[in-house]
Amino acid sequence: MEINLYNIYTTFFKVGTLLLGGGYVILPILQSELVEKRNWIDNDDLCEYTALSQSIPGLIAANLSIFVGYKLKRTAGALAAISGMITPAFLCIVILAKILEEVIKLKFIQGIFWGVGIGVLILIYLAIKEIWHKSVIDKYTFFVFFIVFLLSVLLKISPAILVISAIILGILRRFYLVRRSKGGVE
Amino acid sequence: MIYLELFMEFFHIGLFSFGGGYATLPFLFHIAETKDWYTTKQLTDMIAVSSITPGPVGVNVATFAGYTTSGILGSIIATTSVVLPSIIIVIIISKLLEQFKHNEYVKSIIYTLKPAGCGLLAAVGVNMFLNDMSLYGIILFILLFILSCFKKLDPLVYLGVSAICGLVLCYLLPVV
Repeated sequence: MEINLYNIYTTFFKVGTLLLGGGYVILPILQSELVEKRNWIDNDDLCEYTALSQSIPGLIAANLSIFVGYKLKRTAGALAAISGMITPAFLCIVILAKILEEVIKLKFIQGIFWGVGIGVLILIYLAIKEIWHKSVIDKYTFFVFFIVFLLSVLLKISPAILVISAIILGILRRFYLVRRSKGGVE
Repeated sequence: MIYLELFMEFFHIGLFSFGGGYATLPFLFHIAETKDWYTTKQLTDMIAVSSITPGPVGVNVATFAGYTTSGILGSIIATTSVVLPSIIIVIIISKLLEQFKHNEYVKSIIYTLKPAGCGLLAAVGVNMFLNDMSLYGIILFILLFILSCFKKLDPLVYLGVSAICGLVLCYLLPVV
């Protein structure tokens, strides 16, 4: 499929429509729609954008869409992607707003909520598996993964603090590598 | 000036909710308590509804709050405001990345951020798993897991299968 603004908008309209059960589901959907079906980006790009999207303010689904849109067609692509992503969400809520309270009480809706909640878990697991192969590649990256995971699950440390620490660690790592290579030359 | 207020509140959420996922919720509850745009009960309903409507919960609540306070125009303003900070920040970072992507420090930062991002994502997954697990939930999860080991399926298949299972189970088993 050719990369133009119309196709970016319609692709992200589809991504936005499939985006059920919270923002993180965008990751497996982008893997399926943009990496596998359209070959617009690769898993490596997606891994980088996921890491960056979690490192900055804003909704993760919005950040990811804008990163991918920018990669495809610069600023215009970014705007096409985010518009496409939020259009289905917008339309759906405007239609549902008035009947929200009745809808939530319906038994079959409750059943669907419950089921989709479980489906989302498996999608997140699959997304983590893909991202894992691209990000955890040696002892150092495994160490970073493990520490961030533990601090986040056990101590509930805010993502912002973990991300800032990771950035500092990345800079220190480079300093260390530079010093070591200089030491080797002398 | 309700439009300006909507813009300020949701721009604020877009700018300060950090880490994605449910980071927006404390802000949304704060609005429920301080403004009369929606009640806490409506917000709880909204969060549940947003799991079966398209889009992230932050966008869904923004549209809902805008619509209930001031109709279509309000909903457009609130929805745009919540993603506007992302648009500005991501475009700036993308431009900087293009410029500095061969810088060794930037490479080292991204090299470290990737596994950190993966760790954060894994933590979100584990927390969600622990939050809404029941016996039937674990059985359904294991079935979907086995399915995923055999064949690579479209995300829609998992959502569809699990929605149908939930639909059937809620009539067969009152506990779900």
